[in-house]
Amino acid sequence: MSQLLPYLFLGLLLLAVLVWWVWGAIIQRGAAEVLAPRQHRSSVRSVGLQGDLAERIFGPQDWDFVSRETPSEIQRMFQRERTALALAWLRRMRLQVSQVMRAHVVVAQQSDDLQLATEMRLALSYFLFLILCNSLIGWVWLHGPVRTRKIVGQTLQWAVRLRAAFEQLMATIDPASCRVVGAISITERFGAK
Amino acid sequence: MSLKQRSIDLEPAITDLRNRTLSRLPDDFSRLVYLASSRDLNTGNYSHDGLAFHFSQNVASKAMALCHGEIFDRLVYASLEELIAELHHYICTTDEPPEDFLKSWEHLGSYRVTIPSECDELEAQVFLSNLKMALTILQTRQKHSSRDEQSA
Repeated sequence: MSQLLPYLFLGLLLLAVLVWWVWGAIIQRGAAEVLAPRQHRSSVRSVGLQGDLAERIFGPQDWDFVSRETPSEIQRMFQRERTALALAWLRRMRLQVSQVMRAHVVVAQQSDDLQLATEMRLALSYFLFLILCNSLIGWVWLHGPVRTRKIVGQTLQWAVRLRAAFEQLMATIDPASCRVVGAISITERFGAK
Repeated sequence: MSLKQRSIDLEPAITDLRNRTLSRLPDDFSRLVYLASSRDLNTGNYSHDGLAFHFSQNVASKAMALCHGEIFDRLVYASLEELIAELHHYICTTDEPPEDFLKSWEHLGSYRVTIPSECDELEAQVFLSNLKMALTILQTRQKHSSRDEQSA
């Protein structure tokens, strides 16, 4: 039992850091940042293609070609390049979901008709999404994007489900804000897949 | 002016650019390089005398920027194999020896200027990464073919 204690401590420490980070990310940021978030240069045109870009990065087509046609050093270079792209894509997805969550928190704070159970469910989904996303980042970093393709597809589906939940909640809490935040931020940032 | 209105105003200029200029170029990569080289790197504005004469400098520049973005998108979403074929075809249309071309593009990073100003950051990263891979693969093929020629 005592052999397990360091692992248990490490696990609890990691959990505490994650909870602190999520808390900081969704609660302590001010409304100003939500209304004018730090934008990465992304156009409406390209954000609509987010799913396609994931397919482009994680898809097997290029790897099949490279493994068939090129020597091993080029294959290693390809893996390095795609790992960097996959990590950039995952970090961007995490950032976009966090921005939407912050926007939701600001609107929810001003709402009189807050449904605690739904909010808790949403917070839990967001928390699990962050865990999944961070695990994926670690997994891609260790194993490369080719082997992570299936899990990424599932994460993308989860992100789309979260979007639907956000939109539903926004519509319930504040229909006026939903028109603004929902129409501009949520649908455009995620893009439909 | 609304987005729809703006695109209606640009449509004749875009059609003219596609039919008279871009269709004469053999492939998308040549079109991309042509459009990028028509852009003033200091201002980001494109210049095309014929198009500016028929429409206006502003409309011509916007039409070229739009076409630049479209062609760039096609190349970003093309497979690596297709991109290599495009690049190889483009190299063949220039009069430069392929080994010099490849070395220069790799060392100078000349391909970086082909990215449109209004593109998504991650799309640009994907394009640059794929182009870097394509250059390396073509260089390897080039080395192999020169070696084969020498041994023959």
